[in-house]
Amino acid sequence: MELFLERLITGLTNGSIYALLALALVVVFRGTGTLNFAQGELALFTTFFAWWLTTESIPVWIAIIASLIAGFVLGALIERLLIRPVQRRNDMAVLIVALGLFTGLNSLAGLIWGSETKIMPSPFPNGIDDFVSVGGARLYFDALGVVGALVALMIVLTLLFRYTRVGLHMRAVADNAESATLAGVRTSRILAIGWGLSGAIGALAGVLVTPLSPQQLGLTSMFHVFIAASAAALFGGLDSLTGAVVGGITIGVLEAMLTGYVSFIGGSLQQTSALFIIVAILFLRPNGLFGTKRLVRV
Amino acid sequence: MTTIDDTAAPSTAKPGARPGGKPKGPRFLVVQGTLPYRGLQLGAVLLVALLLLWASGLPAFRMGQITNVFIIAIAIAGLNLVTGYTGLLSIGHSAFFGLGAYTTGILIVKYEFAPLSTIPVAIGLCFVLGLLVGLPSLRIHGLYLALVTLAVAVSFPEIVRRAEELTGGAAGMVVRSRFLAPPEWTGLVRAERGIWMFWFSAAVLAVVMLLCRNLVRSRFGIAMRATRDNEIAAAANGISVARTKIVAFGISGAITGLAGSLFTMYMGALSPDGSFTLLKSIEFITGLVLGGVATQIGPLVGAFAVVFLPYLTASYTEGPLAGVVFGIVLIVIVFLMPEGIVGRVGILARKVVHIVPADHPRLGRADREGPPEPARAEQ
Repeated sequence: MELFLERLITGLTNGSIYALLALALVVVFRGTGTLNFAQGELALFTTFFAWWLTTESIPVWIAIIASLIAGFVLGALIERLLIRPVQRRNDMAVLIVALGLFTGLNSLAGLIWGSETKIMPSPFPNGIDDFVSVGGARLYFDALGVVGALVALMIVLTLLFRYTRVGLHMRAVADNAESATLAGVRTSRILAIGWGLSGAIGALAGVLVTPLSPQQLGLTSMFHVFIAASAAALFGGLDSLTGAVVGGITIGVLEAMLTGYVSFIGGSLQQTSALFIIVAILFLRPNGLFGTKRLVRV
Repeated sequence: MTTIDDTAAPSTAKPGARPGGKPKGPRFLVVQGTLPYRGLQLGAVLLVALLLLWASGLPAFRMGQITNVFIIAIAIAGLNLVTGYTGLLSIGHSAFFGLGAYTTGILIVKYEFAPLSTIPVAIGLCFVLGLLVGLPSLRIHGLYLALVTLAVAVSFPEIVRRAEELTGGAAGMVVRSRFLAPPEWTGLVRAERGIWMFWFSAAVLAVVMLLCRNLVRSRFGIAMRATRDNEIAAAANGISVARTKIVAFGISGAITGLAGSLFTMYMGALSPDGSFTLLKSIEFITGLVLGGVATQIGPLVGAFAVVFLPYLTASYTEGPLAGVVFGIVLIVIVFLMPEGIVGRVGILARKVVHIVPADHPRLGRADREGPPEPARAEQ
């Protein structure tokens, strides 16, 4: 039972991280209709930035806020300067730009801060003794903090989309950009804000995941997270915030349980098995669990 | 070769159909099947043969690089069928490449097959894997289908690492060079493996490019492009969209698997994290887009770009800066040459020489024609 709870907690924690990055992907998809392949590397870059600030003896919380702002600015700039000019042409062009950013941002982080592994301080107490016992299982505060951050972000995003003018405009643009423009929404500004928002969410995911992960902060830290997050976003239906969260947590828990209980899979096939279960579910629900079915007019 | 018209109908003999008195447009109009056209074709073949002869005289290291280019070009040609002509984005082709490579490696090392006799097995296995990957396209579309290919790409290295007794696991697998010696009938000795692989890859690439060209022009190829351009219209015209997608995935996987098989013979060493990760898929997609999506020789040009660009950027800069430059070059090319290198050269060449089929309906006004093949994929 203890073991089960501990695995469940690990799964929930990892799942929350996947869900965070998946949320970033969903926000971009709703605005622009593409999967941002560079989302993970963008998060990596801002996390390095936050780490660099902490080495300049800036408190970790301020560093995190600064990295969120950096993520916002970077995301908005990328949309403005790189994505928008090629967007009209075709999806493949957007994809290649994203792949270019993927390589470029990763190498840029390596160029500025070096490729050796860094230790990113956690914003939450993360000593050996910082845990509470739940049914015998150890619930560490930093894991709790990650789940808390996800819940808080979900609340903020829901409030943003439901009750603010910008949120309303974002929903309008996602639904039908042309009609939104005709109704007076400044579509281009909204798109930039959407990318900026997702950049900031990605930055949050980055600074939260690296203190927890065994590899700490290296140039490959975000790759696995990105794979899991994109699977989560697709699983949830790409355009649904709830779907992204459910998808992320499902993948996290699935991974932890499969690794723990199915000895054949062990530690070596976890990504494979999680992805294949998702493909199987997609077979039953081709637009993801919460995705809206797109009607095609002939 | 760049100017071979893609939409060509079988060139019926209709000699001397040269139009006269065009107001403006391309300086030369070449009709398919006429003497000048044959001359151009012959010239292109001769030029390629001369280039190959020149390259075979290069130092071993350069020749190895060019062999690598040929192998990557075969892999990209496979990807081009499914992503370029059928419009299904695949980020899983590294798995086909890997499956082909490991099939050849395992058969040679564990079962002592001759290298060449492993190729049919590799092609067959990759064809079946391709059908399996294509199968979800019955229900799953667009980016969701890309997720299926992503799953395949991510799981391949994990499975290789897991199946340790067969593949050597994470440590990798070495194929001894005595197994990879050129076949006896070539008259080459074991030390001349580089030359053998160079000519062999070049020959395979030529065959693959010819096959792809014919496939794309065939009834099935038309079905592929129709599926890409408008799935509903294609279905309404009696094309079995699902079958087209599944078979396209199968053929595409088989060709990329063939490239993997050659890769084993060329490298002689395999490791799951070396050449068969998602990054390899990204390299293929990059090459395809740089060269020109849905063009005949785009894969070859793209392969040159992805093999030599990193060397080029690395020779002026060091370490991570090379990656930054590579990323920037990629983005700049998308901005300046969205049709890819071949597409752009084709547009330029059409201003000078325009090749039209003999039964072109508007032969006299061929200069009004747009590019025959919109070098775009839908998704």
